[in-house]
Order: sequence, then C-alpha cells, then structure tokens
Amino acid sequence: MWQLDSPTLISVITIIVATVGIVIGCIVPAIMEGIAVQKALDGITRQPDAANDLRTTLLISMALLESTAIYSLLVILVLIFANPILDRFF
Amino acid sequence: MAVLSPQVVFTLFGLQITDTVVSTWVMMLLIIILAIIIKQFKPDLGEMIVESINSIVSSVMDEDKDVTKYLPILGTLGVFLLVANIFGIFPRMVSPTANINTTISLSIIVFFAVHVYGIKEKGLWGYLKDFANPIFILPLEIVSQFSRTLSLAVRLFGNILSTDLIVAIVFALIPFIAPLPLAALGMLTGVLQAYIFLVLASLYIASAVEIQEVEQERRELKKTIKESS
Repeated sequence: MWQLDSPTLISVITIIVATVGIVIGCIVPAIMEGIAVQKALDGITRQPDAANDLRTTLLISMALLESTAIYSLLVILVLIFANPILDRFF
Repeated sequence: MAVLSPQVVFTLFGLQITDTVVSTWVMMLLIIILAIIIKQFKPDLGEMIVESINSIVSSVMDEDKDVTKYLPILGTLGVFLLVANIFGIFPRMVSPTANINTTISLSIIVFFAVHVYGIKEKGLWGYLKDFANPIFILPLEIVSQFSRTLSLAVRLFGNILSTDLIVAIVFALIPFIAPLPLAALGMLTGVLQAYIFLVLASLYIASAVEIQEVEQERRELKKTIKESS
C-alpha cells in the first residue's frame, strides 16, 4: 500500500490536509460569529433603540470574522486546483 | 485550475480577452443604459438611489459631515459592486468580482482614494504627521494600510467565488431545482458583500479624514489654555 509514487502521495496528503483545514477553518469563525450574534441580540432586546447602530456594527464585524474562513478556503482552493508542488511533476 | 483562472474568449491585437472582461463590458453597457433610462424617465428613482447610498456613507462617517464630496467614488463603487456581485446569475456571464484581478484593482482604487482625500483634507505634512503620532505606531500603521487593502480584495473575491463554486458543484450533482436556493443565497451574499465593501471603504476614508478634527480640537484647547493662563 505504501509503494505510491510521489505525485499520488502528494495528492493524497493534499486531500487530507484540505479536508482537515477546511473543517477547522470553518468551525472556529462559525463559533465566533455565533458569539457575536448572541451578544448583539442581547443588546437589541435590552435596548431596542440602539438596533440600527448595532446592526451596522454587527454586519461589519461579521464580515471581518468571516474573512478568516474565506482565507482558509482560498488556501485550500489553491491546494486542490492549482497545487504548486504537484505542478512540478506535470 | 480551470475554476480559478478565467477562460480566454478571443484574442484582440495579441491581447487575450477573458470572459471576465467581456462580462464587465456587458455590465458597463447595462449600467449606462439603466442610468440614462432612470435619468430620462424616473428622476425620483435616481434621487432615491443617491439618497440611500448617502445615508449608508453618513451612517459610518460623522452625522453632521458633508458626505456629498465622497459620493462620486463611493457611489460608483456601490453601484458597480451591487451589479457585479449578482451578475453571475445571467446565462453565459460570470461575476467580474469572482476574478481576483478585478477585486485587487478595486481595493487599490480605495487605497489611493483614502490617501488622496486625507492629503486633500489636512495637507501633506499634517497627513504624514498623523501616521506617526506617537512615533512607535508608525510601523503598525504602515502594515495595517497594506494588510487591509489585501483583505478588502481577498474577502470580496473569496465570498463571490465560493458561492459561485457551490452553485456549480451542486449543479454538477443535481442539475434540477436544487441549485436554485443556493443561487438565491449567493445573490444575498453578493448584496451583503457590496454593502460591506462600501461601508469599509467609507470607514477607511473617514479614519483618514477624521483624526484631523481631534488634532484641531487639541490645538484649539491648547490655544485657549495658553490664552487663559
């Protein structure tokens, strides 16, 4: 089983790393966004007058938080579709 | 590889014209025709669009500040991104923002606009002085200038590309009805990302312009303290 040539080995390792990476890279920002939404909803229920300010701030901070997940997605897309190490063999 | 890099449609004088560029041309034509139609027949609607962009920008900047002078660049960005992010749903078209070259050029425009407005507001020396006020903040400020330009580009690109990819993957698996809700989600994400890009650009311009007021207040306070003593 371990008699793989190096392109196959690199492909297998790439797929495993991509899966683990996207799982971790999605879980952490999702938890953080959940906490942010929870706090904002707490604030809105306590003070409905401040809902507009809170919504703007919440959207901006959600976008900033979400961008970390997007970064990991981009790295993994590069790994899968345009792998720089795998390109040396072809 | 084929997903991430755009397809070449035809060659013009040795230049490779990709589908992103063709989509951008079609989109520009569409926006210009729509603008002319709105100007001719529905001036109220145009006024409403301008007012809504104005209110978004002024919700980030100071309330009493005149935001009309930033409206040409921010309004153009907002309208362009709003149409560009949802343009992938038209047949045979791709979203221009699903290509990283488009988003990087947009964020470089924002990068230079921030500095131009900052220098215009407080002069070259005053603007440079605000960068190093106190002095140890200078490297942090320089790094943050570049990192936020990069993150502005990559965020928009990643969001639009990922929703387009998800729709494409689901379409390859189940080509009937199932991609529709995901396409709707993609449109929602596109509108939200256009809003966020607009808000962040106006936030950066506001932060370049606004420090001057604090500085001015400080100087006036100093002057009054000196006069009273």
